[in-house]
Amino acid sequence: MNLDWLTQYVVTIVILIVTTVGLALLLHLQMGLAGIGNFGIVGFYGVGMYAFGIFLVHLPWPESWGMVAPVLASLLFGTVIAGIAGLLVGWLIVDLDADGILLGTLGFAAIVYGLSQTNRTWTGGAEGMGTTDFPYDIGTIKANTLLWLGITTVVVALILYYVIRVHRSPYGRLLIATGQNEALARSLGKPTFRTKMVMFATGSAAMGLLGGMYGVMLHYIRPVELGIGITLAAMVGLVLGGQARAWGAVVGVVLVGVLFELVFLIWIPFPTEWRRQSLPVIREMLYGATLILVLMTRPLGILGRMRRDRTVRRPAHD
Amino acid sequence: MARLAEINKPIARWSVLVVALIVLVATWDLARKSLVIGTVSDAPLVLAAIGFALLYRLTGLINVAYAETVTMGAYIGMWVNTTFELNFYFTLIPTIALTGLFSVLTYFAIFRPAKQRNVGVVEMIIISFGLSVFLRYGIQFIFGFEFRYYDVPVQKSLRVLGVGVSPFRITALVSALGIAFLLIWFIRRSRLGIQIRALAGDENLAQVSGINPLAVTVLIWFLAGVAGGAAGAFYGVNTSVRAWLGWDQFLFILLVVLIGGARGIGGVIIAGLATGVVLSFLELMPGLNTTPVYAQVIVIALFMVILKVRGNRLAEAGKV
Repeated sequence: MNLDWLTQYVVTIVILIVTTVGLALLLHLQMGLAGIGNFGIVGFYGVGMYAFGIFLVHLPWPESWGMVAPVLASLLFGTVIAGIAGLLVGWLIVDLDADGILLGTLGFAAIVYGLSQTNRTWTGGAEGMGTTDFPYDIGTIKANTLLWLGITTVVVALILYYVIRVHRSPYGRLLIATGQNEALARSLGKPTFRTKMVMFATGSAAMGLLGGMYGVMLHYIRPVELGIGITLAAMVGLVLGGQARAWGAVVGVVLVGVLFELVFLIWIPFPTEWRRQSLPVIREMLYGATLILVLMTRPLGILGRMRRDRTVRRPAHD
Repeated sequence: MARLAEINKPIARWSVLVVALIVLVATWDLARKSLVIGTVSDAPLVLAAIGFALLYRLTGLINVAYAETVTMGAYIGMWVNTTFELNFYFTLIPTIALTGLFSVLTYFAIFRPAKQRNVGVVEMIIISFGLSVFLRYGIQFIFGFEFRYYDVPVQKSLRVLGVGVSPFRITALVSALGIAFLLIWFIRRSRLGIQIRALAGDENLAQVSGINPLAVTVLIWFLAGVAGGAAGAFYGVNTSVRAWLGWDQFLFILLVVLIGGARGIGGVIIAGLATGVVLSFLELMPGLNTTPVYAQVIVIALFMVILKVRGNRLAEAGKV
């Protein structure tokens, strides 16, 4: 099989797309089901990435542990820290209305961005910090990156499986009910605050894991990685694909990612100057326009309405 | 319990004031500096927050793209200033008028159609976020990445309470307060102001009593654009003009409006000035060694906690 078209650069872009699919899936749980518009995805992602990096770099790992164990332990640490951040932010915002949630999540992302730039001894400041190479070596750089792509894909597939399971579980129905009419759900005795907190914290932890894993791929983490771009890409993908459907995130992000990141920025031979300067700017403009157009003309995206499971669609007659 | 808390409220308030006064006297030198610098440098923030609060309180809309209204104010002001070589104060008038029109344009292009389609609250925020991204990168595409500057003569700094201050910053403060009081007067006392409040209270009732909702809504958007444009022009002349100017301030605008907005425009002014004072206090405090970024982090976290403690009690619209 000839894999020449699949350059190292294309593989890293595909990893970015797969990571974004994961983030959009988690955003689907928060925004599509529970109605929490999280504009600070990059904050949780960044907490995971930086907690992973700091834990890995600043801890004296014994030689005998080899390469894999420290990376795994650090990823776990990043996930836990992002989960704790999710608990904290969730406690602050989930019972506020959409305005308070916008403020809280944007504010959290700004705090993470600010902290990543200060504290030079821990994070390396604006220049960033080198973390690690891939914790294995199976030959060429491309082979190593491909293996990491495989691992990331497996993790994202697990997230997709989890989201589909949530759709079919009582917990998922409770989330949907809370998102659509919280007062009603609460009046039926459902613990809406706790439900949203649990969902927000697990979602944040998983975003942190994805951030840490992307940090492994980057080898070098910088505050630049924590711009608005990640949040925007996940949101555009989810909205376009259909925010009420589990597969919406996958369809939307893959469509947007392949179209803009691969076709637009790599495969169409635009002049190099354009690629560096104007094309990324035009891409973000088109992202913004997509959000507006989709929500105005087809608010539920390509896949449309939520498919409800049988118990909801056809109530029992007895 | 609730009544006890109610009775204790004034006591709690007074003790807070006394503590604040003691801190002020004990750290007079620091407090003096941060008062002057904070009040004066954050005057554009107050202006921007007033415009945002108008939209938020009167139309119930969180308009993320308001950040770009501020940016447009800075760019339009720079264009007028450098093209016609006008004095900065003369450029302000066409600038705020044009920015007001721009704000009305965004209403007709995006927000009115969206409202007619009954878009949900979160979706509306996302639409305005999309518009914000589109405009911000559009401005960057047209004007490029470089910072631009107003063409104004270097001015001698004035001394206020022993702190050197640029005259533009003083004008910004004076006009921020001026515009704020004009708006308060306009909305509380004038006939159109009464119509605005009636519309915010109950649209159907307002329409029945002969108010033209479209005209009044356009007026609200125009006024919001005027305040945002003035803020942008002052930001631009104080520092530099760049595509991210408005977005960099947006979080603070949102903080100020959500915290202070529950008490009307007066609350917005106080919250805005307090933000500036606290920020410069944290930056100037010896021993803390805080960078501006760090001070911002502390203030954002503080405000988030305030929002949580107070709960997001959105007072009913129409009591600006």
